Amino acid sequence: MRILRLTWAVAVNSFSESVRHRFFTLFSVFAFTAIYASVLAGVMAVDQEARVLTDFGLALMELTALAFAIFNAASVLPKEAETKTIYLVFSRPVPRGVYLAGKLAGSLLTSALMLAVMGAMHLLLLKVRGFGVPPCYGWALAGSMLKLCVITSFAFFVSLFSTSAVSTMVISGVVWTAGHFASETRFLADQSAGVKSAGLKAAMWLIPNLQLFNARDLSGAACSIAPPAFLSAAAWVGGSYLAALWLISKKEF
Amino acid sequence: MARSALPLAALLAWAVGAAVSNSCYRSPFPPPSEIRTPVAGAAGDMFSLAFGLRRLFADVWFIRLMQYYGTPEFCEHEEEEPSAHAHHHCGINGEGKYPQFLARSRHVVEIDPGFRMAALYGAGSLAFNMGRPAEARELLVYALKYSPREWKYLNVLAAIGYSKAEDPAAVAALIAPILKDPDCPVMLKQQAAFLNKKIGNYSAAAAIYADIAATSRDLAYVRNAERELEKLLRKPPARPGRG
Repeated sequence: MRILRLTWAVAVNSFSESVRHRFFTLFSVFAFTAIYASVLAGVMAVDQEARVLTDFGLALMELTALAFAIFNAASVLPKEAETKTIYLVFSRPVPRGVYLAGKLAGSLLTSALMLAVMGAMHLLLLKVRGFGVPPCYGWALAGSMLKLCVITSFAFFVSLFSTSAVSTMVISGVVWTAGHFASETRFLADQSAGVKSAGLKAAMWLIPNLQLFNARDLSGAACSIAPPAFLSAAAWVGGSYLAALWLISKKEF
Repeated sequence: MARSALPLAALLAWAVGAAVSNSCYRSPFPPPSEIRTPVAGAAGDMFSLAFGLRRLFADVWFIRLMQYYGTPEFCEHEEEEPSAHAHHHCGINGEGKYPQFLARSRHVVEIDPGFRMAALYGAGSLAFNMGRPAEARELLVYALKYSPREWKYLNVLAAIGYSKAEDPAAVAALIAPILKDPDCPVMLKQQAAFLNKKIGNYSAAAAIYADIAATSRDLAYVRNAERELEKLLRKPPARPGRG
């Protein structure tokens, strides 16, 4: 109970810091502007305006939230170490695992809030244009959130051994891209043989399959996210958390 | 948990995550070997795969397809005319040649096989506007590969068969159920209205034109529907089935 209370306290602190951060405001303004710009593309699509508006909006929301989440995850721990805030926290009876879990939860809460705010703006925009809530909208947002959970926890892990926030962002960006290539990687692994095939199959085990959560790109009944996807996301987040905990426990604060 | 066990636990968790995703994920999309970019735009296709933005880039390709089809072609014999003023547009009603139409519409389906409206629009335009039923069939057969239970594709395929046999009543009957579907392109509605008019089923044609005028956001189709409705309202009622 005490551990949960401590984690919650760190998470709330991290969350309020992120929300106060000027980048959050900047990203919100950017998202709103970008979504508004998508109206222009929607007009070009004539009878497919609803679909185009939905797709542009969802994609921009995800990319904006991703940029914020990676930036936040890459800078939060190094910044706390640089400003010596972390020493103050660890001088109190706060276990490192609790601190890390709190920071991660705070970061994920910020991403969730960001998606919720942008989602509300987007739905309002659709309503103004005369459209209702698109089918599978909730699943699309849930899928984006799962992807953000996986990549944020991974960025936390990378930030503990990378030399700068930029390199963390680059590595996380590469994993994000490779994670969407899962089906293409499988196809290439099946088509090739020998070392090449083994290498590609190894990549499938090392890189999270982000297509599994990509409900945004699916339509009809297929757009719902199956329970194994939640399990997979939880396992990737848990793995990154444990790896980050291992690194942070080795550091001297 | 002992510190030394943490990396092992992390690897185990990642392995579980990978095993679950590898076992339950089956891609609903065409493999990369089937993706053929018809014109400049390979970078866009790359982004669509790299960022999981297939739907968005399929939308972009669809807009490009409509722009391509919406750009009137000049008649070959008139292009040889010395005076530029002698040119006139051949494809004003969508009848032009548009040699890249099949490749472009197939590419939309390659990127997003769930974009049913694009497949119906492409097949309808090819078969009924441009008189290329073989290409329309090719597009629908490809689309059916990824949506094998899609009855609208099957209906349009059958309608293409009847249109070749010059049986407008059968074509209209096959298209009729698709008209109520949100995926139905306005071009197909217009085709159905035209066929109903041709066979003398004016009330059905008027109902379709009224639907186009009320629901479409394409001003060209809306204006045409309004014009046709006016004409039909002036006509005396006729019995369906008379060509």
